[in-house]
Amino acid sequence: MIAKRIRLVAVLAITLLFLLAWVFPILWSVLNSLKTDSDVLAYPPKLFFSPTLEPYRDVLFGSASILPNLVSSFVISIGTTIITMLMAVPAAYALARLRFRGKKFAGFYVLATQMLPPVGIIIPYFLILRNIGWIDTYQGIILIYLSFSLPFAIWLLVSYFEDIPFEMEEAAYLDGASRMKTLWRIIIPQVRGGIAVTIVFVFLNAWNEFLFAVVLSGNTVRPVTVAMFNFVSVEQTLWAKLAAVSVLAMLPVVILGIVAQKNIVKGLTVGAVKGGGRR
Amino acid sequence: MPHAAATPPAGDLGRVLAQRERRFAAALLAPAFVALLATTTFPLLFLIGTSTFRMDLAMPFADGFVGLENYRTLLADDRFWSSLLVSLIYTASTVVLQVALGLALALLVMDMKRGQGWFRVVAILPVVLSPAVVGMIWRTFMLAPEFGIVDYLAINAGLGSQNWLGDPTLAMVSVVIIHTWQWTPFAFMVLLASLASLPEDIYEAARLDRASAWQRFKRITLPLLRPAIVMVVIMRTMVALTAFAAIFTVTGGGPGTATEILNLYAYRKSFTELSIGYGSALAVALLVVTILISGVLFAMRRAK
Repeated sequence: MIAKRIRLVAVLAITLLFLLAWVFPILWSVLNSLKTDSDVLAYPPKLFFSPTLEPYRDVLFGSASILPNLVSSFVISIGTTIITMLMAVPAAYALARLRFRGKKFAGFYVLATQMLPPVGIIIPYFLILRNIGWIDTYQGIILIYLSFSLPFAIWLLVSYFEDIPFEMEEAAYLDGASRMKTLWRIIIPQVRGGIAVTIVFVFLNAWNEFLFAVVLSGNTVRPVTVAMFNFVSVEQTLWAKLAAVSVLAMLPVVILGIVAQKNIVKGLTVGAVKGGGRR
Repeated sequence: MPHAAATPPAGDLGRVLAQRERRFAAALLAPAFVALLATTTFPLLFLIGTSTFRMDLAMPFADGFVGLENYRTLLADDRFWSSLLVSLIYTASTVVLQVALGLALALLVMDMKRGQGWFRVVAILPVVLSPAVVGMIWRTFMLAPEFGIVDYLAINAGLGSQNWLGDPTLAMVSVVIIHTWQWTPFAFMVLLASLASLPEDIYEAARLDRASAWQRFKRITLPLLRPAIVMVVIMRTMVALTAFAAIFTVTGGGPGTATEILNLYAYRKSFTELSIGYGSALAVALLVVTILISGVLFAMRRAK
């Protein structure tokens, strides 16, 4: 009985430690973003203080506002999401539902493109985009983001398309509906949930991308993950402001992550199940 | 496909319908495949091309075709071999830590009667964040000497203030911990999901046979969980090999080249030192390493 209780307490302590370890760095950034400059530098660190919104006012509306960078992040992420979905939904439908020669190879090709290390894509694209003057433009960044968002979206959508019963299409064909009409009217509404989940993940991945953004961004297009560096320099770090920017950069993805909570494992493991498990 | 559509009618009508289906499929696939060819296959060929050139953005007058010269340089380049070693250490240690901690926690949480929901929500937080933001938070609020919480705890534990990102060994430990912090929840969530899907009656039978907890784990849980574990290992290995943002923001590969994984070396060579040709050869080397390692892992997956 006592041994059992000790075990229970130990398990509780270990699991709580994990919870704390995951929450703390995020929570600590939030707390620091609500501090005055003197509170943020206080030693020992202050857990309790009178909160202020000053850092947020500074980074949003001050002289070095990151508002344009937040706009950049949103334009890139939304643009990537729209273009990716327009291409991925039809492609995923074809891969999941239609019969044609080379289908297996097509599916494998989509998976294999993800093997290519991003640094190997950005080197040639940097040269090409520089030649056509597309560095520091939205179209340049969004184009190269398709390299990772498309394979991801296609494979995630395939898994949703495969879940619809075939009888639905057959009934529509028997009623004389065309293929296109069937896809639009019958199939797409069935996978609305899957499309919504895919949109969330494509947006999230685009928002979080860094390597392509750091190479291709400039004064016009600079997402918030890159602009964040303005607040740390060799001479001084603007702690509270940096914390505020970090929180602003985290906010959209945390909200989306919690919205997509039930589907997160599926979103994270997309493609892997395909590699040889299911078929 | 196991669940192909209804068998098409035989004869001419069948052939016409099948042809229509093929055309329809081609039309639906075309935009995505053109985009994929343009953004992945084409750059790969281009990259292999530039890797055979001397291409120096700082000294363009010396540019020209050099054949395999870049690859010969690479094989004799100490910094290449050391970055490869750093890559392997980084990948192996982060993957092992993620799987071990994630599995341990999944087993503990699985036995909890209440509060599982908390873990499911909290575990989402790190994995949805941008590695660049995660790196920045750790570099400043967690690890900055005398200011960061980790250093504060170290001082209070009597270890004294440490230069977490300035000492070569500690910097490596730090970037490994940061990656592990961010991605253990991934292993945890995936393994918890597959633990929850294991059949209950096997455990019932084992309990009736008076199998100990350790025996149940070793004989039942682990073999049943093996596919999920292998999948996590494969996915995390691929990501760790091309990890960039978290190391770039935290140490930039330094001090010196202490945390410079091969991926980062290819980046630095191309975009900091502006040797695009040699940087391309390094990127090709990274692709080869990735393919080799994934080949080994997939072979392990098939082996029973």
